[in-house]
Amino acid sequence: MTTDRIDHDALTELFNIGLHRAAASLSELTGQRIVVDLPRLWICPIEETHQRLLELLNGDLATVHQIFKGSVTGDAVLVLEYQSAARLADLMTDGGVAAGGRLDQSAREVLTEVGNVILSSCLSAFGDMLHVTVTFSVPRIHVESLEGLLRSLQVDNEDLHFALLAATRFRLTEGEVGGYLLIAVGMTSLALITDALAAREES
Amino acid sequence: MPADESPISLGAESLPMLHDLGEVLELGILTLDRELTVRGWNRWLAAASGAEPSEVVGRPLLELFEGLRGGPAEEALRRAVSGSTTVWSHRFHRYFLPLPAPPGHEGFAAMQQIARVTPLMRGGAVDGVLVLIQDVTERVAREEELHEALRRAEVASQAKSDFLASMSHELRTPLSAIVGYMDLLEGEMVGSVAPLQKTYLGRVKSAAHHLISIIEEILTFSRVEAGKEPLHTEVVEVTALARDVEELFEPQALRKGLTLSVAVPDGPVAVRTDPTKLRQILINLLGNAMKFTDAGRVCLEMEATDRVVFRIRDTGPGINAADLGRIFDPFTQLDQSLKRTKGGTGLGLPVSRRLAHLLGGDLRVESTAGQGTTFTLWVPRTSGQSSPAGDARRTDAEPAGQP
Repeated sequence: MTTDRIDHDALTELFNIGLHRAAASLSELTGQRIVVDLPRLWICPIEETHQRLLELLNGDLATVHQIFKGSVTGDAVLVLEYQSAARLADLMTDGGVAAGGRLDQSAREVLTEVGNVILSSCLSAFGDMLHVTVTFSVPRIHVESLEGLLRSLQVDNEDLHFALLAATRFRLTEGEVGGYLLIAVGMTSLALITDALAAREES
Repeated sequence: MPADESPISLGAESLPMLHDLGEVLELGILTLDRELTVRGWNRWLAAASGAEPSEVVGRPLLELFEGLRGGPAEEALRRAVSGSTTVWSHRFHRYFLPLPAPPGHEGFAAMQQIARVTPLMRGGAVDGVLVLIQDVTERVAREEELHEALRRAEVASQAKSDFLASMSHELRTPLSAIVGYMDLLEGEMVGSVAPLQKTYLGRVKSAAHHLISIIEEILTFSRVEAGKEPLHTEVVEVTALARDVEELFEPQALRKGLTLSVAVPDGPVAVRTDPTKLRQILINLLGNAMKFTDAGRVCLEMEATDRVVFRIRDTGPGINAADLGRIFDPFTQLDQSLKRTKGGTGLGLPVSRRLAHLLGGDLRVESTAGQGTTFTLWVPRTSGQSSPAGDARRTDAEPAGQP
């Protein structure tokens, strides 16, 4: 299995559907118009993710993990640089949390909920496409290094793991914040996604 | 991260244990079947709601809490039935179940909650819903206090930065001109000067130089706060220093019709201290007393034992008890109308107290509105041998002790 077979445009569209749903939910939640863009998408073996993220991210990260199980199984993570995470929590709550740029408990709760909305929306879009039910674990927030993030990824017991890595941009009334969505899956799940995307394009 | 974070898979026999666990962990644990009928209602929820499990179990949740119907809570429960997990932060929702706030939180009518709504699995299928509720009312109140304190600190810090930037420039420029013209006059470069005029010119010049030194001290305020202001100690005869300071204020006392008196011990009193800093404190305190006293007297009294105590008394308007607690806060003038009529930066007293700490002593105030004010400054006979930097960093919560 290589990543060449994947219809990149169809996958981008699928992510966009999920992010559009997420943006609608977040707008309702916060009472302000929120847009989530997807400027770029990469699909690569998980071993290559470290180098790629190393080029994209600096310092400590705030991550929200959510394991998903069903016909497709893997680990979905919202990845933000620490300062971006504090900024996003601040923007989402109109300055209600993350005073002084610190991720206090309330800020972490807000980010966990935001991560939950984004990850669930995207994974639900995958579930809808595959016509399967995907169940989700309780999301968890961590402040960790890039190495810690990659060590903590939980994927099924297959030898080959792949990462769908999407650059995202949150646009809110008072500012913008960049982040990444990382969906780590095994070879079987990726093959299912690839086939479903191909069937979707043909229909 | 645990090895497995699958949605919760529990047999019916495990539910009582889960409910007990919630009580130990101070969590509300609510379990529902797929139709959202209450299966389990732990003791924590019973205590918080006043409804015993026997009154709740077997009844539809949306009948028990009508307000949840059609709202995001019902939506989250329905999503859990279809396999999704929902996180509920108090910032966006305040609470999941409308329960009263715990006692002592008058600002909150309802308990502030975070919640997790997640599917309960059996045999690979969703069998019900688990809701975990945590009361964060106290934490939210504490965080709000911290945010307010931080906001105040940021405002104060900004005020300080703005002040330093603008005042240093505004004060230095005219003072340089004053000193320059004083030099011309005193040097008789624009005509002869009578001896009495020369004396007065000398005093004006001395006062001008002192003003320049005050500006420099203001600029070092942040250094004192950070414990980075060095001490330059030497043996000082402090009765003479007190007399020097008195001389500075004689003209002002004459102009205002005030009695200015200095009472010092008969013999010389030698102290190893930083004379510039001690002098600045006394000038600040006497200057304040002169500024705010419109009638009566201003006294500087000095006592020397194992320490030297200066008391500066005035018959001015005094200070309200409520204001005494913040009189040493930087950039604070208790009465803003006085700022306009009397001038001043609001830094004199905080700088004086920090300098007193730096010298190893302390500065206190006693006052009653309408009955004048007494500032008491004490310094050790030898400053700078203990840890002056440590003293400079001391906070008001750690008093240096009474004289």
